[in-house]
This record gives sequence, structure tokens and C-alpha cells, in this order.
Amino acid sequence: MSTETGRESRRSGVLVDAMRWMENLSDTQYAYLLLGPVFVLLGVVALYPLLRTFELSLYATSLDLTSRSFVGIDNYVQLFTGGKNRFLPGGTTFLPQNVSTSALLNSALVVTIIFAVVSVAFETILGLGQALILDQDFYGRRWVRAAIIIPWAVPIVIQGMMFFLMFNSNVGFATPPLADLGLLAPTNTLNDTASATFIIIVADIWKTSAFMALLILAGLQSIDRGLYDVAKVAGASKWQQFKLITFPLILPTIGVAVLFRSVQAMRVYGIIDTVSSCAVVPSLSCMVVSTFNTREGTAAAIAFVTAAIIGVAVMGLIAWQGEDAI
Amino acid sequence: MATATDNESESRGPLARWTQSAIQNPERVYRALFYVAMAFFLVTTLFPFYWLLVLAVTPSGRLLAGSFLPSINLFGVSTTFPLPVPKGFNPQAFITVFEQVPFHLYMLNSFALAVTTTVIVIVVASLAGYVFGRLRFPGRVFLMLGILAISYFPPAAFVIPLFQAFAGNAPITLPFTDVPLFTPPRLLNTPGSMVLPFSALFMPLSIFILTTFYGQIPDGLEDAARVEGTTRLGALFRVIMPLSAPGVATAAVLTFISVYNEYFFSSIMATSPEAARWSPIVGGILSYQTQYTTQYNLMAAASIVGVLPVVILVIVAQERIVSGLTSGALKE
Repeated sequence: MSTETGRESRRSGVLVDAMRWMENLSDTQYAYLLLGPVFVLLGVVALYPLLRTFELSLYATSLDLTSRSFVGIDNYVQLFTGGKNRFLPGGTTFLPQNVSTSALLNSALVVTIIFAVVSVAFETILGLGQALILDQDFYGRRWVRAAIIIPWAVPIVIQGMMFFLMFNSNVGFATPPLADLGLLAPTNTLNDTASATFIIIVADIWKTSAFMALLILAGLQSIDRGLYDVAKVAGASKWQQFKLITFPLILPTIGVAVLFRSVQAMRVYGIIDTVSSCAVVPSLSCMVVSTFNTREGTAAAIAFVTAAIIGVAVMGLIAWQGEDAI
Repeated sequence: MATATDNESESRGPLARWTQSAIQNPERVYRALFYVAMAFFLVTTLFPFYWLLVLAVTPSGRLLAGSFLPSINLFGVSTTFPLPVPKGFNPQAFITVFEQVPFHLYMLNSFALAVTTTVIVIVVASLAGYVFGRLRFPGRVFLMLGILAISYFPPAAFVIPLFQAFAGNAPITLPFTDVPLFTPPRLLNTPGSMVLPFSALFMPLSIFILTTFYGQIPDGLEDAARVEGTTRLGALFRVIMPLSAPGVATAAVLTFISVYNEYFFSSIMATSPEAARWSPIVGGILSYQTQYTTQYNLMAAASIVGVLPVVILVIVAQERIVSGLTSGALKE
């Protein structure tokens, strides 16, 4: 197809040639041409680093990073047998040493999973509550919705500051009342693993419930309102309407949202870094960040294990959703 | 809620009367539950902001003296007030914030990084959104799933090689070989080291949002533009993109907020928290902590200043955020 208009032909010859060449491409060729920038960007910033991380995890590097030797899967073996624990910050470990509470909370893998499961569970419940409220018609709905969304938009460092300042031993006011209830350690709260993990989970729930709420709200609003009219005629109470219509119909949405959020929650790093420290609350991302400058192979192995765990979860999600995912 | 049918309704107290009418009319119970739940969510959501304000206006000399929860005398019984209140009033902190640390420069850095990333993401994601939304070609589903899968991986899986490459000390080698390709320039502490990972990290969401929006434009409009003599690319940028303005705005707002909020690469790629070396608000806020004394009131004041842009953006653009998160995020 020729589109050589007068305006076009006044331009330089190279540009005209490029335009003409582009016009004559088949749909498939044109598609791959336009996807070029995406391929380059994702290739350079995602695919190459992922491969390279796997490569680094197969080598032991000298401390000055000048020489390296191939060790195969030794980094992984040592990671899972505890040989790498001495390189991790504080007294943290990769896998738990035994099944006592303190050993479990010192394990990066266990803490990451606890964080993801507990915070996503509470986010789902609170998000459902928020979504049910936002689904109603009431005066000022717009403002309530804005208020509920705002935490989602708060920068992680500021979210961290809020909770750091709330529970800090010098100015924080929230520690004594919660310590009286036995929920937090009364002193040195942010350096106590159990307390700091609890606070970080609360901080994450505060920030991310709104995200869950919006996903669930989309599910709620796609329900055919006629179903409720039928239920009313049949004399169903509000609770029965929820149990028999609303809940079953939004269950698939909730399922996808939960998996999606769990994968995201397993990346946790910033809130730990601001509220407490990686030596107190170990997460997988934390372990990568605190070791990669000195122990490249170890850090790469942890990073790749993290990626693999998430990769498996994602495969599950995609297999379950299939092409509906797109 | 008090719906129990107890015999005390004879006593005619206000609660009992309410209970009585609630039994006759369950709608009232649901209404009450609704308002209680709404109040609960509003209080828990907004409370941390209130706490920052309390801390920010408390004069620094009185920060450590006494509790933020004052004792009050309630009908002769001394009790603790359940809400923190400021110990004094010193709005000066909002000026000191900028004097102590050039916080405005950190915010400017964040803005510059966010705007640059947003522009790159919108242009590149527009090309991809056009392809996925409007063209049928072999490999389409496979490529979309690939982009989807990459977007799920944690930043930690990418950071080590990126940090090494951006340090610019050694040539990039072909993975699994020692074949050197080229030596990258040193990008640490420059916008490049942050904009590149940000763009890759937040691009997939925009691709999926724009795919949805671009796919909805009728073919006839594009054909008409082509008959008029517009080039293929011209049709995308002069016809499809303007017609999908709400979708483009959605993707732009979400990308901007995501970059402004990012912590991982922002804290790692800016190796020193100096505004002159492109450290964004992450470095700015944390630098009140590493002074000789930790200035809690300034940390709170800086947090309030730093959060204002996104709060305004949420209030102005909430329709876009809601539609973007609900249409794009589930697919991403």
C-alpha cells in the first residue's frame, strides 16, 4: 500500500525509504518490528540478568571479585545444608536450624512465607470488607474511596517511617499498650524478631488491603444485579444473598487476586529495611541485598531460588488461568 | 450488633428501644453495620497520617518528654486518652525540613525519574499494546505470557548483574561464557541506573492496560486514517493513542506512582544518599536518620511533604487508578 503523499515526499530520502519499507511489511513482520523496543528492554534488564544470576550462582568468587572458580551446584547445596548461613546478616539462616519459634523466625525462607501468607490472608478479608462498602451507593462515596486507596499510593519509605515512628522506643506511643496485651516485646521492640515481623505484617496489610479491595470490587461490580432482585422476591436475607450469590461469584476473582498478591508479597524488602533491619527480619530479597557485594555466588543462589519459587507459583497461576490470564 | 432478643427490652433504655426496632426491621442493622465498618476503615486508613502530623508539629525539645497519650480526668477517674495528641505546636518543622536536608531536591529527583520512566514506558508500551491489541500474528499468546511471567519475577533476581553492569568496571560477557561483549558506562548514581530497571519493572502493567484500550478502537477509524494517507505508525500516534486517552492516562498515572513509590532499586542504585547524585526521596527521608541526632519530628514532616504529591494524584485521578488496577492488574 502506498501512502506517499506530498508531505511525506518532502522529507529526507532515508526516512521516506524507511516509511515505505515499513508500509510493505506483513502483519507478522510489522508486529515483531514494533515489539523490538520491548524485547531489547526486557532482554537487557530482565532476561540477561536472570541468566547471568544463574551463571553467577554456579561459581565461587574470591572476596575481591577478581577470580572465580566453577563449583557447580555447590552454592545451592551449601545454602540448603546450612553451610552458607555464616555469610548471612545477624544470626539469620536460610532454612530453619530446628523447629523452635526463634529458629523458624530466623530463617529467611520461613519468614518470607509467613509474611506472604499472613499478610495476604488479612488483606483479603479486609479488602473484601472494603470492597463490600465501596460497592454500596452512599453520599460521599468518592471521598471514602479516595481515602481507602491512598495507603496503596504511599511510597514504601514513608509507609516505613509511619510504622517506625509509631513503634520506635523513643517517640513511639503504640508499643506500651500492645506490649500490655502481650503482642509485642516491651523494650527494644523493633530489634525483636517476632515483634518486628508482626509490625511489618501490619504495615503491609495497612498499605495493600486497598489493592485487594479494588480487585474484588471489580468482581463485585460484574455481578448481574438481577440476581439480587430474584433473591429478594424469593425472600432471601442480606446474609443469604451474600452467602449464596455474592461470595460464590467473586470467589474466582479472589483466588486470582490472592495468588497475584502472594507472589508480590514474597518480594518484601523496603518496609523491612526502613522499619527494622534485614538482620532482624530476614526475607529472601533482604538476604540477596545484604550479601551480593561480598558473597556473589551465595547471593546469586538465593536470588535464583527466590526466582524459582515465584516462577513455580506463576506457572501455577498461568496454568490455572490459561489464556484467560490475557 | 445488638440484635439479641432479650427480655430487657421492657426497660425502655435507648439501646433496648433501638434493639427492638432493629428486630422488626433488619435493614437498620445492616445500615448500622455498614457505618461502623466504614468508620473503622476510615480511621485505620487515615490514622498513620494523623500520627505523622502529631509528631511533625511537636517541638523537637519536647519529643522525648512524656507520653503522646495524655492522662485525662474523666468524671473523677484518671485514664489515658486513647489518641495521641501533639505536645505543643511548632509548624516551623515544615520549613526546617528543607533547611536541614535539601529535601526539595530529592523530591525533584523522584519527579524527574518518574516522568522519564513514564514517557519511556508509554511510548514503548504503546507500540506493544498496538501489536497485541490490534494485530493477529503467530506467537502472540506465547509472547504475552512471556512478558507476564517476567513481570512476576522479584527485583532481587535481577539486581546482582545489573549492579555489576552499572558499576561499569568489567565488560559484559555473554552468559555462560567468558566472551566479552562491551564495557558499559558507569551508570550508578545516575538516572540511567534507575530508569532502566523501573521501565522494565513497570512496563508489563502498561502493556496490558494499553492492549485492552487499543484493542477496543474500531478498525474502521484506523482504516479511514490510513486511506487519508497516514503511515502505519502515524495511525497509532495520531489516531489510536488520542482516542484511547483515558487508557494512556491510566497507564501514565500508575507508572508515575509506582516509580515514585519504588524502594528496591532506588535504595541500591543510588549508592550514596546525596541529592546531587540522583538519590530520590528514599535517600532524602532516610538522611534525617543518619544525622548526629535522629530528628523524629523532621522525619515525620518530610514524610508528610513527600506523600502530598501522590495524595493529590490519587484524589484527582482516582477513576483512572481504579480502572487501571482492575482492568490491568489482574491480568498482569
